[in-house]
Amino acid sequence: MTADPYAITTGLVERSAAAYVSGVPQDAADDGFFGPASVTWRVSADLASPVAGLRSLLMQALHPLAMAGVDRHSDWRRDPVGRLAATSAYLATITFGERAVAVRAAARIRRIHDHVRGVDTVTGRPYAAGDPALLLWVHSAMVQSGLAAGRAFGTPLSAQDSDRYVGEMMVAAELAGVPPTLAPASVADLDRYVASVRAELRCTPAARESMAYLLDPPGLDEEIAGIWQDVRDAAIAVLPEWARELYGYGAPQPLTPGRRTEVRQSLGVLDAMFLSEPGVLEARQRVTLRMRAARPA
Amino acid sequence: MKARRLLATVVAGGAIAALTLVLLRRSLGRARYDRGLAALRLFIRGGVRYAGSAPRLFAAAGEQRQLLREDLALRTAEDVADTLGAMKGVMMKIGQMASYVDDGLSPAVRRTLARLQDSVPPMSPQLAAAVVEEELGVPPERAFARWDPQPIAAASIGQVHRAVTLDGRAVAVKVQYPGIAETISADLGNVALLRRMLRITAPSQDVDALIGELRDRVLEELDYRREAGNQRLLAAYYHGHPTIHVPGIISELSTRRMVTSELSGGARFAELASWPQRERDLAAETIYRFVFRSLYEVRAFNGDPHPGNYLFHGGGRVTFLDFGLVKHFTQAELQPLLQMARNICVEHDPEAFRRSLENSGFLRPGAPLSTQAIVEHLAVFYDTIREPGPLTITGDYASSVVRRFFDVRSPVAEYISVPRSYVILQRINLGLFAVLGELTATANWRAIAEEIWPFAQGPASTPMGEAEAAWRARRQPIAA
Repeated sequence: MTADPYAITTGLVERSAAAYVSGVPQDAADDGFFGPASVTWRVSADLASPVAGLRSLLMQALHPLAMAGVDRHSDWRRDPVGRLAATSAYLATITFGERAVAVRAAARIRRIHDHVRGVDTVTGRPYAAGDPALLLWVHSAMVQSGLAAGRAFGTPLSAQDSDRYVGEMMVAAELAGVPPTLAPASVADLDRYVASVRAELRCTPAARESMAYLLDPPGLDEEIAGIWQDVRDAAIAVLPEWARELYGYGAPQPLTPGRRTEVRQSLGVLDAMFLSEPGVLEARQRVTLRMRAARPA
Repeated sequence: MKARRLLATVVAGGAIAALTLVLLRRSLGRARYDRGLAALRLFIRGGVRYAGSAPRLFAAAGEQRQLLREDLALRTAEDVADTLGAMKGVMMKIGQMASYVDDGLSPAVRRTLARLQDSVPPMSPQLAAAVVEEELGVPPERAFARWDPQPIAAASIGQVHRAVTLDGRAVAVKVQYPGIAETISADLGNVALLRRMLRITAPSQDVDALIGELRDRVLEELDYRREAGNQRLLAAYYHGHPTIHVPGIISELSTRRMVTSELSGGARFAELASWPQRERDLAAETIYRFVFRSLYEVRAFNGDPHPGNYLFHGGGRVTFLDFGLVKHFTQAELQPLLQMARNICVEHDPEAFRRSLENSGFLRPGAPLSTQAIVEHLAVFYDTIREPGPLTITGDYASSVVRRFFDVRSPVAEYISVPRSYVILQRINLGLFAVLGELTATANWRAIAEEIWPFAQGPASTPMGEAEAAWRARRQPIAA
């Protein structure tokens, strides 16, 4: 039932880059929902964000109903890179885009979600992508991954900024369709919520296949393949131990300072490649200038 | 040598044989140049492809960097680490070493290299001043009579400020980004990533040797005192030279992270395009004399002879800048190069040429090749100096040298290898001849070569040669 092969992976960097550029406005009429002084902008600019993204997917896929929706309804198997790029573009848009643009993008996603419903063949439970409970899981996995990846491989946030980040991201949850009162407002909330969902999580065949594909994408450009190993290992290393066990991944290498340096080197090379794609340097400079204006040194 | 790659070799087309090495896979066709990491691969290929327009490419990149983004200036050492840490500084250095010789880059690779350079903003005036103060113990306003807080140019790991010394000399002060040396050496010290990526294109023993070479060169460049020493040596040697000028070093204002030299004006390389051919020829003659006089008399070779490092004053007068990548040779290392040039250009003795190649480790002894085949393979590199008479070095000639350089299909190529200490001399082919070809320079190169060859000590062959001879007669011989 999940026998379709995944498409060959090409253009991962190019399409992610185009997604990022598409989300950063040229001359913003307003600061959007977060703004240049936000912790969210800092997190999104962090070197560790590819690790955060991959960890997010690993966590999100463990929810059988969330996974079923992606697996059965999106073009995830036919065009996985395109599917990831679409998510990246959405996130860049709600992060950096003007409010009206972000609202439109969110409305579009919610409309798409409306059509994603069915019955999960593994659990026998019905699912709907617009279900606030699923959206809350997807949201929380992402926010927690940003914190975890940054702590291990990026510029760690202070406890206060971590709470601020979780609080800021409540807007993103709301845009996606999570009722305002449900989204976690602090790191403690977030961790409590994730723990409360744990019993529902499992590694379904679709999750296993999807993540096996993602961790070792066939046809990945050879320049990126070596780098991807480090991103992958880093993402696994910052998963909760129980999540690693669900997937059956072995214990990660100890996170020594040397190992952290190695991962950061790979992330730096990846970032340089990303930076060389059309428009990325300019988009990043626009973001940097606005952040500087908002937070003078 | 059954390795999948081979060591393609070339004998320099200059006055003197200069052999170089490039690692190539046998199947260049499979080589892929279309992604960013090729910047790293390029390094191990030593600048795999090249054509005559390379200097233009590089000059353009240099000009872009003149657009110093003050608004994005790095304000703290943390900003520097964010911008150039995590391998980016290392990649930038690699790109810098590889890029100016390479015209065969795909647009994507070119963009990556150029982008990395462009992505590095200058230091803020405060940060640059802080570095100066750490180096000298006093802020720049007190160390200098005048200090221009705005940089006038970007250097790869620093930037250049104009200043006037307390005793009134106009100077250029190159200031290094704080923490960059530590960042880059740390990234070079952790070679797992480099090795893994570089293995894509070459067997591991070559990769390790090349990473070693890369580390040595980059680490040298991080200590400006070495650069100051090289420049001091060459400035002293060429003091009073009629056309060659090397700006003097102000030693008391030069440290590990800053180097202060006399300020020079002059036209940039790109401007020479509009100069009369006679002027271009004279400039080329000076550059040629500088390269080979430095090599055979100072036993120093500037491995970074890119067009951005020249300033032109007319009448053949040229100022030479930037001595961060100078290789010093021993007399014993230079001898084989001279011997080969003598064998093939003066004695016209192919068998002796072959023996010299074998004795110095360039050609495997007993290779099943006719001597004629060997000479035919390598002769192109001596084309400008085999016979006396005026000869124009064109972009086509530079390209033909390069084509032979990369003629991996030749049966000769397989038996040739290059001792590591000569590797850097490939820049004679890929740097000097690119520049001369760009200038479409005409001269009697053989006659000039004879002036410079220590074994020939030929008579002055041009007015510049006469002026140089007079200068040589005046100056003290350099200490051995």
